[in-house]
Amino acid sequence: MIRLTQIRKSFGRNEVLKGIDLTVRKGEVVAILGPSGSGKTTLLRCINYLERPSDGEIEIGELRVKCKHPSKQEIHRLRGKSAMVFQQYNLFKHKTAAENVMEGLVVVQKVPKEEARKRSVELLEKVGLGAKLDAYPSQLSGGQQQRVGIARALALNPEVILFDEPTSALDPELVGEVLAVIRKIAKEGITMIIVTHEMNFAQEVANRVVFMDQGAVVEEGAPNELFRSPKEERTRQFLQRMTPEAVYSI
Amino acid sequence: MKLDPAFIWTAFIELLSAIPTTLEIAGVSVLCGILIGTAVALVRIYRVPVLHPIASAYVTFIRGTPMLTHLLLILFGLPMLIDAVAESLGIPFRSVSIPMIGFVYISFSITEGAYMSEVVRSGMLAVNRGQIEAAYAVGMTTPQALRRIVFPQAFAAALPNLSNSAIGMLHATTLAFAASVVDINAKAQIVAATNWKFFEAYLAAALLFWGLTFLIERLTALLEKRINSYNRGGVA
Ligand SMILES: Nc1ncnc2c1ncn2[C@@H]1O[C@H](COP(=O)(O)OP(=O)(O)O)[C@@H](O)[C@H]1O
Ligand SMILES: [Mg+2]
Repeated sequence: MIRLTQIRKSFGRNEVLKGIDLTVRKGEVVAILGPSGSGKTTLLRCINYLERPSDGEIEIGELRVKCKHPSKQEIHRLRGKSAMVFQQYNLFKHKTAAENVMEGLVVVQKVPKEEARKRSVELLEKVGLGAKLDAYPSQLSGGQQQRVGIARALALNPEVILFDEPTSALDPELVGEVLAVIRKIAKEGITMIIVTHEMNFAQEVANRVVFMDQGAVVEEGAPNELFRSPKEERTRQFLQRMTPEAVYSI
Repeated sequence: MKLDPAFIWTAFIELLSAIPTTLEIAGVSVLCGILIGTAVALVRIYRVPVLHPIASAYVTFIRGTPMLTHLLLILFGLPMLIDAVAESLGIPFRSVSIPMIGFVYISFSITEGAYMSEVVRSGMLAVNRGQIEAAYAVGMTTPQALRRIVFPQAFAAALPNLSNSAIGMLHATTLAFAASVVDINAKAQIVAATNWKFFEAYLAAALLFWGLTFLIERLTALLEKRINSYNRGGVA
């Protein structure tokens, strides 16, 4: 289980997260929606400490970290419990697809190379890239790179995988293949937090939807409730703007 | 005096014996320079307290003063320092027992370290921030992320500058004459001293340096092709 308590983050005087509370149960898929600049990326980055929260508490599994004065070791352990799929993929440029997936296993989890390679091949096959094991990121399409990114996250066997708009940097025709992979792993009971602008996808794949605006959680609920009958005016306005036509024109 | 083409060849052959000394000086300085430069670059990039201003001052001072001056300062200053320290500690060691080339290594490494720190720094800054974030996200520590992800890519990005700097150092080894070390250039002077055919001897030295530089350039090109294959969609 992941529990965020009163997470705050400021950049200088700009308070970007204004005390976020969020609980994600094991195996749950939570979609985070919200207008651009509302702090979604910052929130995900805080969960694995790519961004240092100004205040609050992060609890993942047995680990509980007070954000004000975390030790190096706590940060390290926290990062070990989550994995991130980035908007810009961020695959290791100088490593092949298979090496990208192996890297964390070998370097961080000290899995023997052969075993890591085997696991890497399995995962790449699972995301449909069994034929691209030895390709470098520069030789892959955006959709393929993002699928490697997902395999890399899966390899770590984390408590939670954080997705930051995993399809928004992709050409429209490549979005489907990535969503299909995420859909597939969502069914396997992996805990996921997904920031997305794909409304249909969020509705279909998420157990719960959280709507954020201006650094705060405005409303959360089951997808059907939230999409059909949002309680808050801000949510309603946002959903209206994000009709499927609008989504695809982005 | 007329040009003696045959003596160019004679001198050239004689100069070959000085190649090891020249390459040793250049090699040691470049290697130590890369180590010092990497440390200094890290200190500056991560703004390590206390060390950061010292590193900046080091780079500014070295780059703001001639290399020959560094050598002379080390040559005359370091023995005094060593002797003073040895004496106060009651160790019988004296600086005269250090070979002159040792001071050359030290001085040139210090010089090269300052220049290399800029090469390393720009190489590291060329690595996308997302790369180290992805490394952190898979759970690596900073040293692991630097070693596995940032340095290899920074090295690839810095290779052209690194090669330039190494070539610069190869040529700068001629300054070692000030420490009475016989490098290619000093050897040319010795070879010519018997018959005063300085032009022929220095021309031979020039050709030899040119050849060595060419080798370094070829080596760099090969290395570049190998390590940069991931960027150009080569391989596979
Ligand atoms: N590194 C940073 N420095 C300063 N401001 C930042 C930084 N990262 C994000 N912000 C600001 O934080 C706010 C929230 O950004 P972000 O979390 O990226 O929102 P979202 O992902 O919802 O679009 C924005 O106003 C953005 O300008
Ligand atoms: Mg964002």
